[in-house]
Amino acid sequence: MSIYLRIILVVISMLSMMNVMKRVRRFKLQIENSIFWIIFSLLLILVAVFPDPMFWLAELLGIQSPANIVFLFVIFILLIKTFNLTLEISQLQYKIQELVQKIALDENKKNKEADKEEK
Amino acid sequence: MKVLVIIPAYNEELNIKKVVSNLIDHYPQYNYVVVNDGSADSTSQICHQEGYNIIDLPVNLGLAGAFQTGLKYADQEGYDCAIQFDADGQHRPEYIEDLLKEIENGYDIVIGSRFVTEKKPFSMRMLGNRMIERAIKFSTGKVLTDPTSGMRMYSKKIIHEFASNINYGPEPDTISFMIKQGASVKDVQVKMDERTAGESYLNLTRSIAYMLRMMLSILFIQNFRKRRKAD
Repeated sequence: MSIYLRIILVVISMLSMMNVMKRVRRFKLQIENSIFWIIFSLLLILVAVFPDPMFWLAELLGIQSPANIVFLFVIFILLIKTFNLTLEISQLQYKIQELVQKIALDENKKNKEADKEEK
Repeated sequence: MKVLVIIPAYNEELNIKKVVSNLIDHYPQYNYVVVNDGSADSTSQICHQEGYNIIDLPVNLGLAGAFQTGLKYADQEGYDCAIQFDADGQHRPEYIEDLLKEIENGYDIVIGSRFVTEKKPFSMRMLGNRMIERAIKFSTGKVLTDPTSGMRMYSKKIIHEFASNINYGPEPDTISFMIKQGASVKDVQVKMDERTAGESYLNLTRSIAYMLRMMLSILFIQNFRKRRKAD
């Protein structure tokens, strides 16, 4: 892992962490949802500062460059995160559907009652 | 002072009737509202049958969303203070009076604590409680003897702030943030019961995730937040 890659990792992680904190500060992001990104950034910084375990892992798995291990690790985590986001979106869609239906049905009930009272 | 007891309830069919009827029969001086958080069991039906004051959420929001609904109601109806009160029978209504006294003395947030005069036991369950206490002490300099207690009373101006903003969940990290921002917080000794029936929400994985979130939030994230005074 070159020193440049390590510096880039640290800088990008710091920037993305600052970005996340800015959103929390501006009332745009719930703390629950910020936790993942903060831990993820911290992990990347950790890997950049202490790359030795990556060398060890690379040797163990027969992968030539420790940088590739870092990429693999990032891709795995992001894949899992994407799937979890899909799950959450799916649940949100269903919740919205239920809400819209409830509002519409309530409206219908209210209108019918109002009509009855007129008659 | 107009006091509202907010009772968030998620699948509490075994406990809700006992808790609410005790409140109505013995403490008629307090108003209450049950916030049914989209329960899948008969919590809502029981409340309607008994004629309780209930807000039914059409979908499940989780404790923070359900409790905030109660705060919005308190804000709308002009209550002077509101208390979070568990639907599982852990909280005892006889202590509401003690908490209320401190709100009348001018405190913003009053916490019903099990460990003001009592000693905190050294158990696995109290490990998380202790860690959060340390984190808040480190972050704010103030000792909260029972930071995970759910029995918290809020004054009028705090109700409004909590009701209308993001990231004001009823959790220790919010309290830590409020202390940092100059709110006055007071612990009052209370006794709590073991939950009488039903299952606790926290298992091991959830407890670990919760602790991680709380520690990161208290020690790190809350330092970057600012307070929006909605008035």
